[in-house]
Amino acid sequence: MFEEFKNLWRRFYNWTVGNGPRPENEVIPPEPPPDLPFTRRLELKRSRFQERPLASRYNEWLERKSLHVFSMLYLGMSILTCLLFMALLLSTVAELPSFGDANNPVNNEVIKRYIERGGQETGAQNIVAGMILDYRAFDTFGESAVLFTAAISVLMLLGAVRRADTEEISIDLNNASDGILRRGPPSLNLKITTGFTPRIHMFRKNDAILRGVAVLSIPAIILLGLTVIINGHLSPGGGFSGGAILSVALMLCANAYGFEQVHAFFDEHVFIRFSSLALMIYAVLKGWSFFSGANHIESGIPTGTIGEILSGGLILPLNICVGLIVAGTLYGFYALFSEGEI
Amino acid sequence: MLRIIIAALLMLAGLFVLGVATIGIFRFSTMLNRIHIAAKCDTLGALLVLSSLIVLSGMTIFSLKLLLVIIFLWLSNPVSSHLVARAEVKTNPDLNKICDFMRFDEQGNLIKLNIKTDDEVSAS
Repeated sequence: MFEEFKNLWRRFYNWTVGNGPRPENEVIPPEPPPDLPFTRRLELKRSRFQERPLASRYNEWLERKSLHVFSMLYLGMSILTCLLFMALLLSTVAELPSFGDANNPVNNEVIKRYIERGGQETGAQNIVAGMILDYRAFDTFGESAVLFTAAISVLMLLGAVRRADTEEISIDLNNASDGILRRGPPSLNLKITTGFTPRIHMFRKNDAILRGVAVLSIPAIILLGLTVIINGHLSPGGGFSGGAILSVALMLCANAYGFEQVHAFFDEHVFIRFSSLALMIYAVLKGWSFFSGANHIESGIPTGTIGEILSGGLILPLNICVGLIVAGTLYGFYALFSEGEI
Repeated sequence: MLRIIIAALLMLAGLFVLGVATIGIFRFSTMLNRIHIAAKCDTLGALLVLSSLIVLSGMTIFSLKLLLVIIFLWLSNPVSSHLVARAEVKTNPDLNKICDFMRFDEQGNLIKLNIKTDDEVSAS
């Protein structure tokens, strides 16, 4: 208040003396920020007062608001879908028997049946193998399919880069999209190299120590893996563990002798063919078994005597299928991430 | 009785070697020193402990399995340590600051001998 009076008095005094207002004493108010450029404001004003056809107004609305509206709609629909699924699942859970009830079938009938009659029904000495590959074989099929799908997707993602190593790009300068005619060569062909050059692991190639040990241990590892797979229904083990052991043998071979040596008998095509074949055999065999079991007809699959190698019905071929898929997939992941290809 | 005494002596020797390995891993600072002590002492310590178990169980199928375990450990442990050390030598660019180097050509002749004095090592 006092400052303002002082300022006013100074201005009055200057006016009376005749000096005029001094520019350094003037307080310049800050300029308000421009909200829109002038042409845009004019355009908006004009568009607001002109009569336009509905189509152009709709197009303009789409241009301005459609992304926002779509995102809101998407959010609303996703929330609605989630709520619907939650309601469905919760209503299903409410109908299930209560958890930990002593009268539940899980607590008495299922375990009893597995232990007492598992040997007779599946023909497997190893009850766990009988469970996962006979009673619950559908679940194991899903696991193998998940492994296979993961390997195939990684192969697609990482293999696509290698396939597009060189691509030709042709640009026609005379027929450019902006409509301006240019002088110059009529078209231009460019050869662009993209993608990776294959990595060379120099230090892996001449490691005499690793090679000497690999020669000794690879046959033993392969034998152990085959034993674990084939004895899956007799002893602990099975397709998953045996397949992992086999893939270790492949990785050791690739590390000691280079990936080229493994390519001689195992590459992308072999992997895809063997895995698909194993999955299909699994699906057909187990599908027949489930179909016949559900319709109460004889499946014609002999269970054999418990404790022999050729017993257990379908468990032995299913173990072999699972072992093939797991071995190929684990080695495939290793090769893909270290080398870029199987 | 004699068997138990031999087994106990072997077991104590193995535990001593493994304890030395544990102390050494914490004592040394660089990676190559650590892999040296870990690989050697683990191999010898596992041999001594497993052989004491073999002496304790006598001539059974169990000792045959233990013998196979010893063979596997003696095959795999030195090789894996060798590979880890080799990867360290190939990938660490500052390695010549902390240890001596000998470079050979393809015929095995010594090209370059790069030995640091103790003062240089402690200075770096």
